[in-house]
Amino acid sequence: MATEPDPQTDTTADGSESGAGEVEARVGLRYTLKQVKRDTTALMGIYTVGFVTLIAVLAAIDYYIFDYAVAEMFWYSPVQDPDEVQRLLPPVGMENQFGAGVIEHPMGTDHRGRDIFVRLFYGTRIAITVGFMATGIGLVGGTLIGAVSGYYGGWIDDVLQRITETIYAIPFLVLVIAFMTAFGRDLTFAMIGVGITSIPVFNRLIRSRVVSIREEDYIEAARAAGVKDRNIILRHIIPNSFAPVLVQATLQIGVSILIVAGLSFLGFGAQPPTPSWGQMLSASRNYMLPAPTFSLWPGMAILVTVIGFNILGDGLQDALDPRINN
Amino acid sequence: MGLLRYTLWRLAQSIPVLIGIITITFFLANQIPGDPVEIMLGPTPAQEQVEAIQARYGLDRPAHERFLTYLSGVASGDLGHSIYYDRPVLEMILLRLPVTLYLTVSAFLFAIVTAIPLGVISAKRRNKPADHVSRIVSLIGVSTPSFWIGLMLIIIFAFYLGWFPARGLPLPWADPADIRGAETQLQVIRTSLHHLAMPMVALGTLQMAQITRIERSSMVESLQGEYVKLARAYGVSESKIVRKHAFQVAQLPVITIIGLGLSTALGGAVLTETVFEIQGMGRLIITAINNQDYELIMGTTFMFGVAFVVGVIVTDVAYAYIDPRVAYGDE
Repeated sequence: MATEPDPQTDTTADGSESGAGEVEARVGLRYTLKQVKRDTTALMGIYTVGFVTLIAVLAAIDYYIFDYAVAEMFWYSPVQDPDEVQRLLPPVGMENQFGAGVIEHPMGTDHRGRDIFVRLFYGTRIAITVGFMATGIGLVGGTLIGAVSGYYGGWIDDVLQRITETIYAIPFLVLVIAFMTAFGRDLTFAMIGVGITSIPVFNRLIRSRVVSIREEDYIEAARAAGVKDRNIILRHIIPNSFAPVLVQATLQIGVSILIVAGLSFLGFGAQPPTPSWGQMLSASRNYMLPAPTFSLWPGMAILVTVIGFNILGDGLQDALDPRINN
Repeated sequence: MGLLRYTLWRLAQSIPVLIGIITITFFLANQIPGDPVEIMLGPTPAQEQVEAIQARYGLDRPAHERFLTYLSGVASGDLGHSIYYDRPVLEMILLRLPVTLYLTVSAFLFAIVTAIPLGVISAKRRNKPADHVSRIVSLIGVSTPSFWIGLMLIIIFAFYLGWFPARGLPLPWADPADIRGAETQLQVIRTSLHHLAMPMVALGTLQMAQITRIERSSMVESLQGEYVKLARAYGVSESKIVRKHAFQVAQLPVITIIGLGLSTALGGAVLTETVFEIQGMGRLIITAINNQDYELIMGTTFMFGVAFVVGVIVTDVAYAYIDPRVAYGDE
């Protein structure tokens, strides 16, 4: 849009070759953290994401090491049906034909009498695992394909780009459903499937960066000095794309959590009785009239988590994009 | 002429992608565990029955041969036969596709109509209360699962207030005889719109939020352009600058995001159709999967791909229409 060249925008992340001290400091993790700390929204994002991740870690420790023993000691088992508790209890402070909610079940109980709060707490593990794993798969796959494709160009580029375009051309929820029908309906395949569908996102991002970096003098110099292609890609090109990839990955975690929740809602993903938010929503569909709050909680949990990742991503973008700062 | 040639060129470009989609779908369908013959005939079928079924569906031939048969079938408009419905796959798709398109297109219309004013106001009043409200709305919009919005809408507006029906979506051009409580075509249209309101909002909210975000940042950039400064210097009124000078240029990234949003929206239609029990393509593919109806799974997946590819071409042509450099450019 701008007709005059703007010296600031030309040196976003590859500032190392421009030599100006102020610009040089604009890359790297330390600079990012400093910028993020100044931004209230980004800080809120960090706190939300940190809080949810902490819950997920605690839930994972209890699940993998103690087999829900900690949950049973302090609260209730998130997976076993209790005998004496009423089903579909409303949350504290609400009354309906099921009687007043009791303080032991602050968010009420589900259709099998299990405590909703405990199941939400343990469902965090699935959401966070899925978010990070699926994005990780997409990030690694997309970065490799994008880097190789952009660096070599020619027929390699053509073939790889046509393949990712084709993956992108099938609406991703449909593709993941077809993928899971073929290979398996459990959570592992949900993560791999969602990961594969996010490959094109990272591929496009990295490839465009690589194409623009490829012709830079320092890459020429490295090539002339006999540095292997693989090392040029891994040591120079990929680290130079750190900023936009970090932003995209943060946002993609939120997207992955939403997609996997949708998949669980359709019955693809974590299988009962493992607590997961999407599956809780799916079960709540049959009790919307007698227990409307049952549908409310898991949705709120998804919303808060995804908002956390989105504001963190937006905050990182503001912090890392000098155009907005100036 | 440039625009027509560009459209044809984009259509030709999509052929390899469509072949790619068929390849992926065929490969995935081939991986599905279970024996289709057993599903059709039960665990202990008679030998001649098995052979008859295998010959009919070509299951006795190697995979690459079946792939070529399927590919040439698709090219001539034959998507195979649905075992579950015992009807041609294409017939089932033609029955369901209009419902999904009706829902998706309406969701996009809802998104565009609400998002563009929201984004423009946000950009004009940058960092003022109106901007903050619009940004919070769009942040919540991109972070909420569409199917949960659907559930909440049903609880509030169907169960408690009783304003809208909770399930189904009759088409506006349906025969009045098929719709309960409708005698004239006008009543059918009214019933249809009445049913459409909630699923449209549920599916369109994410698109609305994404378009608002892009519209805002694009308008902010456009309002800082040199030509806007020039227009201001000439004393052109601020509202005319927004309408005549900044707006059109700012729509290019918006069109791109609409094209990209198609994938999310078509996938989201599967969820929305499940929540509102709408008999569209989304329910069709779920039914196909739950009944291991291979050719129907392949056909529906392929059709979702076609819908997306066609949608992207439409947005590309719209882009070229607004910015003719695309059509007349580098070729």
